[in-house]
Amino acid sequence: MLSIKNLHASIEDKEILRGLNLQINPGEVHAIMGPNGSGKSTLASVLAGKEDYEVTEGEVTLDGNDLLELEPDERAGEGLFLAFQYPVEIPGVSMTNFLRTSVNSVREYRGEEALSAGAFLKLMKEKQQIVELDTTLTKRSVNEGFSGGEKKRNEIFQMAMLEPKLAILDETDSGLDIDALRIVSAAVNKLRSPERSFLVITHYQRLLDYIVPDFVHVLYKGRIVKSGGKELALELEEKGYDWIKEEVVA
Amino acid sequence: MSQTTTHQSKEAFLAPFQKHLNGKAIVPHIRTAAQEALAGLEFPTKRTEDWKYTNLKTLQQKSFKQASEGNISDVQPWLIPGLEADLIVFVNGQYQESLSSITYNQGIVRIVPFHQLEAADMPVFEQHFGQIVDGEKDIFSALNTAFADQGVMIHIGKGNIAPKPVMLLHINQGEGHTVGLQHRNLFVAEASSQVKIVEAFFSTGEGDSLRNNLTEISVAENANLEYIKLQLESETASQIDTTEVHQGRDSKASVFTITLSGDLIRNNLIFKLNDENTESHLMGTYLLSGRQHVDNFTQVHHKMPNCYSNELYKGILDEKSSAAFTGRINVYEDAQKTNAYQSNRNIILSETANIYTKPQLEIYADDVKCSHGATTGRIDEDAMFYLRARGINETEAKKLMIQAFTLEVTENISIEAVSEYVEGLVANRY
Repeated sequence: MLSIKNLHASIEDKEILRGLNLQINPGEVHAIMGPNGSGKSTLASVLAGKEDYEVTEGEVTLDGNDLLELEPDERAGEGLFLAFQYPVEIPGVSMTNFLRTSVNSVREYRGEEALSAGAFLKLMKEKQQIVELDTTLTKRSVNEGFSGGEKKRNEIFQMAMLEPKLAILDETDSGLDIDALRIVSAAVNKLRSPERSFLVITHYQRLLDYIVPDFVHVLYKGRIVKSGGKELALELEEKGYDWIKEEVVA
Repeated sequence: MSQTTTHQSKEAFLAPFQKHLNGKAIVPHIRTAAQEALAGLEFPTKRTEDWKYTNLKTLQQKSFKQASEGNISDVQPWLIPGLEADLIVFVNGQYQESLSSITYNQGIVRIVPFHQLEAADMPVFEQHFGQIVDGEKDIFSALNTAFADQGVMIHIGKGNIAPKPVMLLHINQGEGHTVGLQHRNLFVAEASSQVKIVEAFFSTGEGDSLRNNLTEISVAENANLEYIKLQLESETASQIDTTEVHQGRDSKASVFTITLSGDLIRNNLIFKLNDENTESHLMGTYLLSGRQHVDNFTQVHHKMPNCYSNELYKGILDEKSSAAFTGRINVYEDAQKTNAYQSNRNIILSETANIYTKPQLEIYADDVKCSHGATTGRIDEDAMFYLRARGINETEAKKLMIQAFTLEVTENISIEAVSEYVEGLVANRY
């Protein structure tokens, strides 16, 4: 599904990703861990198409389509979803208007008919329940005045609305208390399917107790330096990253 | 030498605006005084403090003609969908009785074009006409006071609530030449009355135009008036507007100035809070492109205690457009417990647009709350990326952001059909 080959990306002439390779197949859940500054969030931003980053080398395809050639909105249309580490507050844009525009834009991209107002509201109600999101939140402006936990749940809610092929969760767990973490994880698990893949970026092993990955990768200095099963996460939790850094140097 | 040139060009400039009266003047003494004042008044230049950011030279060089009679037979294209209002139509500056529909022009709510004023209207008219705006202090007010023959008086009697909003619709049908137009309004809301007024300016066809408009508004004790001005003319239409509001005790007045197109526009808006416990809202939004220039020059005079004023202007500037905002707040010595808020926020979409923003607070009372703020920035890139990452294309995302930015102004328009209409225009502006 997602294939990343020798990806190099920089910001303001500083190279952050230095030859990253990753293959994700349908239905798989991959976790990417790594110390601060290893390039985890850069990877998420580059995949979603943030302009600040320049891809200098390599290729990324989603189901064979060259992702790097596409605008951010086209990538969403192709089925890529990024749950933001820091969801943006947009005063004046109501959640409902935002979601309707979003869902119908993606539907249009996929050649589907726009949802009627009734069908949209029904869908919204149904998906809201998955993340136990307070219904009053959808009456407010996008993320405005939401608590940290509400913002993260709102990201997963949007994911549920857009039904992506590949969802990237960028440190969705950071700043969440255990109850919110349980709700978010349960929602993600509900959305797991043989066709849908996940790339879970996290700093902490804790999340992976709830969202159990098929593969764990360690990102260090812009490259994946170690890959393994879910037990690798436990090992990292126990031993920290230093042994990996030493392995790389050696 | 330069004086002679200026003088001559002033005469030539003013001539086409002066032909309307033909001796039909009501309140002739006010008209005559304004004419006399006009002779001694000059055009403001860039050196005139209050006109620092607006250059009238290009306008002054144009030779205006009087507009010919228009021939519009259906105003449907210019109506606001869903707005049920009493309608007064002016085409090329002239009142169009056949296109207007005034349903409650009886008894105590009077909506009446100046030339249809009756003897019974005269006491109210004479009491206010030329008494709110000083028609002798600047060239444009004097010109209008001396020579504007077309206008509307809206008079809401004591304790009355206008059952529908009143819509003043102006259409300028361009015929390729440069036309000068004048219009004058007098809105009088007597004690405990209520009225909402929408005034919209449109143009069709080709040709430059200049409107010199003046609106006097009296909001008496405990009355409530809302006035929404929609400047929607073509890119060759200029406008100098002077609006002054005088408020009595416990009254509330809101003026919205919405500018979505036009060439050079200057809006003078003055509020005088003449008694205690008043509430005033000065709200505006301007969305510019090309070489448009809009100058909102506002003044709020807090003369008495316990008054509240809230001013919010939000602008978006693209291409080579420019805008100026002056917000002058005067808190007089007696005006203790004044609450005065002011904010001017701008988004610049291009490298070549300019905004000049100037808050001016003069405070002579010691127990007051005043705040002002001005910001100029770009569309929030992080928000744009967030929207686009959700599948919304750049054009749509920009629309959402622009609509969201101006919403703080437009959502305060209390007539839903009008706020929706304006929000729609805003969304599709760029």
